[in-house]
Amino acid sequence: MTPPASSDTAIELIDVAKTYGGRFGKKTPALRGVNMNVKRGEVFGLIGPNGAGKSTLVKILMTVIRPSTCTGSLLGSPIGHKPALARVGYLPEHHAFPGYLTGAQVIDFFGAMAGLSRRERKQRSGALLDLVGMTAWSRRRLRSYSKGMRQRIGIAQALINDPELVLLDEPTARDDPVGRPQIRQNIEQIRDEGRTVLINSHILSELEHLCDRFGLLVKGVMANAGTMDELTEGQRRYYIAVRPESAQGIELDNGTVHVDTEDPNELQPHIDRLSARGDVNTGIRSFRPTLEDIFM
Amino acid sequence: MNVALRQTTALFIDAYRELAAGKLFWITLVLSGLVAGVFAMIGIDEESMTVLWFRLPFPVDSSDISPGALYKLLFFQLGISIWLAWIATILGLITTAGIIPSLVSSGVIDSMVAKPISRTRLFLTRYATGLLFAALQVGLFSGVAFLVLGFRGGEWLPAVFLAIPIVVVFFSYLFSIMALFGLITKSTIPALLLTLLDWFGLFIVNRLDESLVQIHESTKLRIQTAEERIERGEANATQMVIRVKQSEDPTVTDDYEPTTEELDAANPMLPLVRRTRDDAIRSEAQIRPWTDGLFITKSVLPKTTETIALLDRFILSEEEANQIFDIFTPDNGGTDVDEETGSIRVGNEDLQEAAIERLQSRSLLWILGTSLAFEAVILAICCFIFTRRDF
Repeated sequence: MTPPASSDTAIELIDVAKTYGGRFGKKTPALRGVNMNVKRGEVFGLIGPNGAGKSTLVKILMTVIRPSTCTGSLLGSPIGHKPALARVGYLPEHHAFPGYLTGAQVIDFFGAMAGLSRRERKQRSGALLDLVGMTAWSRRRLRSYSKGMRQRIGIAQALINDPELVLLDEPTARDDPVGRPQIRQNIEQIRDEGRTVLINSHILSELEHLCDRFGLLVKGVMANAGTMDELTEGQRRYYIAVRPESAQGIELDNGTVHVDTEDPNELQPHIDRLSARGDVNTGIRSFRPTLEDIFM
Repeated sequence: MNVALRQTTALFIDAYRELAAGKLFWITLVLSGLVAGVFAMIGIDEESMTVLWFRLPFPVDSSDISPGALYKLLFFQLGISIWLAWIATILGLITTAGIIPSLVSSGVIDSMVAKPISRTRLFLTRYATGLLFAALQVGLFSGVAFLVLGFRGGEWLPAVFLAIPIVVVFFSYLFSIMALFGLITKSTIPALLLTLLDWFGLFIVNRLDESLVQIHESTKLRIQTAEERIERGEANATQMVIRVKQSEDPTVTDDYEPTTEELDAANPMLPLVRRTRDDAIRSEAQIRPWTDGLFITKSVLPKTTETIALLDRFILSEEEANQIFDIFTPDNGGTDVDEETGSIRVGNEDLQEAAIERLQSRSLLWILGTSLAFEAVILAICCFIFTRRDF
């Protein structure tokens, strides 16, 4: 039974499991009871090591893979409810749109598949080509595109139906470092338009700046989820640098005193104590763990 | 336009673009046009057949076959039976072999099934797009053939366009098999090769069926001829025996029934013909289970040959069919009993007529109904696999 999803919930998953059947009856569990909640309007980053089940989870949401067990909702409809997908945009990880189509034709085709009228498709495709910076290439066939250009067309096709929810599976995986800022900029624009975005990516540094919340998937289980602050709670600290020669009798680590605290006000007593001792304070630096630190 | 229609239209346009992107598509279409165009070059008059302004050394002229019947014959025998049913179909299968494997290949299928369209409808629509190719090809061919028949043969025959549904249905049997193999193997070449192998298997079954039908009909003709001959021979022998008996004994009446020995003595051919008949009855009894068994086997298989042959029924009149039959069936005399040995020689025309009559007695429902049922089962299996598969 699908639980009633509140109106501010875009995705609600309860106990999602998927076991792949292999040859000779060998079973491989990919997801082992995942619970997840994505609020409307937020950008949710799905992170985890390879083989954690991130893509499987996204594919279950998009009906590409049939779950073994799944309770939940997508935009208020049960998972697997096809009509709800008309309000969802999706960029698969390993997409390979046909090389015989032009960029504009790819966008138009997936617009039609989403049920849009010809007029709606025409209206939106021009703006989307502008958005991804592909207007000049729109009439050329995909076989002449670079991987990055195909990815941008992929993002445009995911947005053709003006979706409320956008699922991006490794959106920057194909791009070289030069192309990534463009993709990141596109995602920021999607976010600024108020759409809900679920990004699955292994490039953690990019997600950190884009996402409101994160879900850490490990071996098919949602190991942790929350905002950056929630995920780094208790791990923030400050470094007070002192001149080593003046810091007699204090334990230093690379010439700094570590203060483990979330509250900067708690630094003052330490600074006062060092000043009273005559230690020379050469700088204060705050440390906040990155996604990579948490992940590693 | 509702959502389903938009999606269907988009899938058809995409399939056309995919086909049009391949050179083979255009080559096949051009060849279809050329083959149809070649018809226009062929003619017939009071002297002989012609190709453009050259006369062909065939002993056939317009008194044997009318120009209209000739073009129908060419359309059916060469255009449909050889070109569309064999060469163009092979080219068509090669061209469309990738339609299902390319759908289920990684990278495309994710985006397709993630749209608000059911998997069953997605698969069946994609399947239907494959038939679009066959329809385009046979449509072009029929169009040109219609014009050739009208201008050169003097007959405007809209029934020519029946070739479109019939050839598309024929193509669809093979395409459904290819779709299943394409779905299972996800690969174009294995799907194509397995389909061609399957088609070859169907061809063998059809040939076997035709051969067994001919043997069976030949046996039945032998029985029938022998029985007629025995009946006639016994009647004559009876008269002879009665006359001899009455000459010996005037009390013998006309309704005297001679014994078999008396009849055989009167007509020494009778025991030979009876033996021939008994042999034929035994042969018929041995062949019948095979023909019946093959008929049942064929009932669950697609009837490719019979489907194409339906055009023959719809396009040719009885008179034209007879004209063509006479041209293509050398007459070696009727079925008769050899007066010395009592064996029966079956006439070629009699045998062909009987075989054709039997094959044509197979109903439209059996030909199309059971073939389409086969296709429906294959498609149901495809849909079952497609809807349950993880991509």
